[in-house]
Amino acid sequence: MNKWRGLFLAAVWLGIFLTGSAWAACEKVTIALGSEPTTLDPQIREDGGERAVNDNIYDTVLTRTPEGNLIPHLAAQMPELVSPDTWEVTLRPGIFFHNGEPMDADAVVYSIHRVIDPDFNSEQISFFSTIKEARATGELTLHVITNGPDPILPSRLYWLKVVPPVHSKDPKFAEKPVGTGPYRFVTWQRGQYIDLERNEDYWGTAPRIPSVRYRFIEEPGTRLAGLMAGEFDLITNLLPEFTSHVPRSVNVLGLEHPIIILNADSGITKDLQVRKALNYAVNKMALANGLFEGYAQVAQGQLLSPSFFGYNDEVKAYPYDPDRAKKMIEEAGAKGQTIELIGTSGRWLKDRDMVEAVAGYWEQAGLKVDVRIFEFNEYLNRLFDRKTRADAIFVVSSNELLDADKSFSAYYKAGGVGASNTDQTLASLIDAARSETDEQKRQRLYHQAVQRAYDQAYFVWLLNIEDIYGMSQRLEWPGRVDARLLIQEMACR
Amino acid sequence: MTQPRTDTLEQALAQNRFEWWDSLRELGRELKRDKPGLIGVILITSLVLMAVFAPYISPHDPSAQDLTARLAPPVWYDKGTWNHILGTDHLGRDVLSRSIHGARVSLWVGTAVVLCAGGFGVVMGLMAGYLGGRTDAFIMRWIDTQVAFPGLLLALIILAVIGPSLTTVVVVLSLNGWMVYGRMTRSAVLSIRQSPYVEAAEVVGCRWPRILFRHILPNLTSPLLTLAILEFARIVLAEAALSFLGLGIQPPATSWGLDVAMGKNYMFMAWWLVTIPGCAIAVTVLAINLVASWLRLISDPQEREKQYARHMAGVMRKNLLAALEKEKPPEAL
Amino acid sequence: MGRFIYRRLVHGLVVILGVTVIVFVVTRMVGDPVQVMLPLESTPEQRAAFEQKLGLDRPIPIQFVEFMGNLVRLDFGESLWQKRPAMDIVFEKLPMTILLTAVGIGFACVMAIPLGIIAALRPGGVVDRVTVFGSLLGLSVPQFWLGLLFIVVFAVQFKILPTSGTGTPAHILLPALTMGLPTLARLVMLVRSSMIDELNRQYVKTSFAKGLPFVRVVGLHALRNAGLPIMTLVGWEVIRSLAGYSVVVETVFAWPGIGLTAIQAIEREDLILIQAIVFTAAVCVVLINIAMDFLYKLIDPRLKLA
Repeated sequence: MNKWRGLFLAAVWLGIFLTGSAWAACEKVTIALGSEPTTLDPQIREDGGERAVNDNIYDTVLTRTPEGNLIPHLAAQMPELVSPDTWEVTLRPGIFFHNGEPMDADAVVYSIHRVIDPDFNSEQISFFSTIKEARATGELTLHVITNGPDPILPSRLYWLKVVPPVHSKDPKFAEKPVGTGPYRFVTWQRGQYIDLERNEDYWGTAPRIPSVRYRFIEEPGTRLAGLMAGEFDLITNLLPEFTSHVPRSVNVLGLEHPIIILNADSGITKDLQVRKALNYAVNKMALANGLFEGYAQVAQGQLLSPSFFGYNDEVKAYPYDPDRAKKMIEEAGAKGQTIELIGTSGRWLKDRDMVEAVAGYWEQAGLKVDVRIFEFNEYLNRLFDRKTRADAIFVVSSNELLDADKSFSAYYKAGGVGASNTDQTLASLIDAARSETDEQKRQRLYHQAVQRAYDQAYFVWLLNIEDIYGMSQRLEWPGRVDARLLIQEMACR
Repeated sequence: MTQPRTDTLEQALAQNRFEWWDSLRELGRELKRDKPGLIGVILITSLVLMAVFAPYISPHDPSAQDLTARLAPPVWYDKGTWNHILGTDHLGRDVLSRSIHGARVSLWVGTAVVLCAGGFGVVMGLMAGYLGGRTDAFIMRWIDTQVAFPGLLLALIILAVIGPSLTTVVVVLSLNGWMVYGRMTRSAVLSIRQSPYVEAAEVVGCRWPRILFRHILPNLTSPLLTLAILEFARIVLAEAALSFLGLGIQPPATSWGLDVAMGKNYMFMAWWLVTIPGCAIAVTVLAINLVASWLRLISDPQEREKQYARHMAGVMRKNLLAALEKEKPPEAL
Repeated sequence: MGRFIYRRLVHGLVVILGVTVIVFVVTRMVGDPVQVMLPLESTPEQRAAFEQKLGLDRPIPIQFVEFMGNLVRLDFGESLWQKRPAMDIVFEKLPMTILLTAVGIGFACVMAIPLGIIAALRPGGVVDRVTVFGSLLGLSVPQFWLGLLFIVVFAVQFKILPTSGTGTPAHILLPALTMGLPTLARLVMLVRSSMIDELNRQYVKTSFAKGLPFVRVVGLHALRNAGLPIMTLVGWEVIRSLAGYSVVVETVFAWPGIGLTAIQAIEREDLILIQAIVFTAAVCVVLINIAMDFLYKLIDPRLKLA
């Protein structure tokens, strides 16, 4: 009968599909990203998906070792300071873009001017905001001139992807990127995948993996399913619980620091005793082990990781001492009073869980905690509200420059977008460091700032979260502290 | 018409009660014959009881976290304990307690939406059908227009903007679903209006709200009930889907859809987090559907229950006429 | 006929206009897309500049007039999130949803008609009862959960189908199956009940008595008479899917269609993309509705179009 014939056909059809989906050998690795790039122009957006792809197509003037130290990349040597506001950059010779354009001083100058042009309106401007102009002084040398002294210009140059001056004027540039990097762009099927292939003429170490496909999957569960099913070789943001379930995983100390900003100017947290007690009350180790399964480190009383410039290794985390916390709260006469703690949910890994755990510890210390979880937009209103600061605001700070300046300007310095103190001493230390070009002196200034904020307990420093990547059995990659997914450093068995 | 006149109110009430009792018993007998329907009714009754007594029967507070007992498996695993019979989720919350409390949300949303959307839709349909003319034209245009809206998309956007919560979910789902009641009521009103007793009521000068609510609406009970139950099933699924997408019930409240969404990240190491709330939704909706299909069967005169349906209709008409008779004298005065 | 077309078109325009105005009003109530889009540590000056560039600092009425002006030209502007014309994005994603809907509902139709007929041959028999119960079950299982189940079983356990995404024909099987199952359930019930009615009619009985082959009687007569309600249901399912119900399946399988894009745009508060998507969805719904009316007319010319 008709029906049986139909069923038979359906079965054959199914069979064709199934046998058709053969698994590729190690010719190609597949990487699942959380979001699709919105553009492949490397200079316009501040977009994780775009960065993950373009980090392999473009080279930056400076780069970092996997441990986070700045090293020359397109530059032949580290930039030199020729006057307080002028840096001299010397480039490697003989590098060409994938389309044959030469990578020279003009290209770098062009790239700098392109990204700082106000009409271009780049979202990356905060990385380059101090640069006034750039000037080619030779075929391979150029001067970068800053508005006043800028000691972290090298860190900024680590962000500068060099674009080809001719091709980047093509209106299709955002869809067909051309760089100097170890991988060339092949195709972009919007919504589906981006393919790259090895640049056989790469000027540096030859990449080992012949071709790469990026897939875009927002749902962590779906990403994980793909890894478990053998479709992906690398997935980002693996949940800590799954490290023992995926074929392989790698974890590195990331750039994210969850902290709680305490209001030092008014309310219950105006009292230094209370602020210190709030630090003593929280068992940071238990948070790291309980919530993150050990894939997080206790933050050492500062908004910096050991790999960041300005890290003060003499400052240690406030120890967990619930009795002391309780006593200090009582002495300050704050026992039984209410403290407002503001957080959001779903924005950062386990954000809500952390807020609620902290609230639990504070309650044990004898306070009443009013936990208020807002939807992200409303949460931002509270975070940026300069007039009525909440007692305590949970935030996760992320610092891609690996330098104290960015985090401290935003959260430590009076008047910063997330600062809840009006400490002029601290602010002047941060300002001084900002224009201090002597590395030693600058380091000392940050050490003082770290110590000052620690003594005043302006924050409850919680953790430094590790990035976890899930990997297939065949992929080898040690991970990087700056969270860049450099295919060049990967190998496939 | 030769209906037996009842002389006193008490007599009428007694008779009514007797008839209701009679029809209930008839329903029970019908139910015994229809096994799936019986299963559905039993399931729904136990779900409702579970929802009502949730705080008393659930072993734990559904939102109590215990980070030391995260992702514990159900009791039949080696690592499972009787303390958490169906295991715990990623925050150490008891899955069984969450599922029991989840029934509350699902049934509450279902009931509230059916009442709101049904109430509004029926009133609109009554007005359109009875008043006719411009009112009818306006309401029907409105319904036609809204039916052609991309409803779910609008719902998602509105929820995202005003902030998802239990109340907003109910409001949005009601706004989205009242049209079907309106259409059905209107067409029923149009046909019932032609019947002699309504005409009679009009002749004796009943006001229109009275005719609508006392004479026409009771006749709509049976089809409306079937529709409402079907809609209830749809709403339970819709709430679960909204919560799954993150635009429905928000934590720390519990909802089956929300639990599936949260459990989905852990589904390879803790299958129970996804499976149990998912099954709960499926069983609930299945039970409602079983009851609805049984109700349709017994209330559909085309089907083999013709006889019974006629009997029901007869009973209803008798009641109505009796009520009409009772009303006549004061109205005539 | 001309009057009919005119009335349907006018009504369609009212629908589309109503939807766009509602979405405009609702999306302007969104807090502040700028806050969400820029990095946390951005300065207030950077925020203000960004807002000005988007034109979101102007009074709402002016924005509305401009919006309506652009609407006429089908130009919604650049998506805030993707920085390219919103309509480009919509036209890129819409075919994916149409493909998914077509395969899913097509599968449902192909399966439902034989299943429904077999069930109807012997109402109350074992096959019938299994079919009816299966359909009820299919209507009761939440789609998102079914999708997850399929992923776990077919993609992770047996590794025979891909978990998500697009590319090969194999990629569409699980999402289409998930999308089609509830439709299949509804269709089977409908085919079954209309076939029971038709098979009891005198003409069918006479045809059988005359010795006409089964396939011919059922296929040509009974099925054709049941065609109208079946078509109505199928049309309704297509509308449902394009009106946003595909979002659940698309989310579960990371299927790059209009539903997934809508959710992403909502999460990112991309007002412009949201407007473009809802507008397109409304247009689709209106067009399908009109097409259905014509099809009715084709199938049953006695039908009065009004």
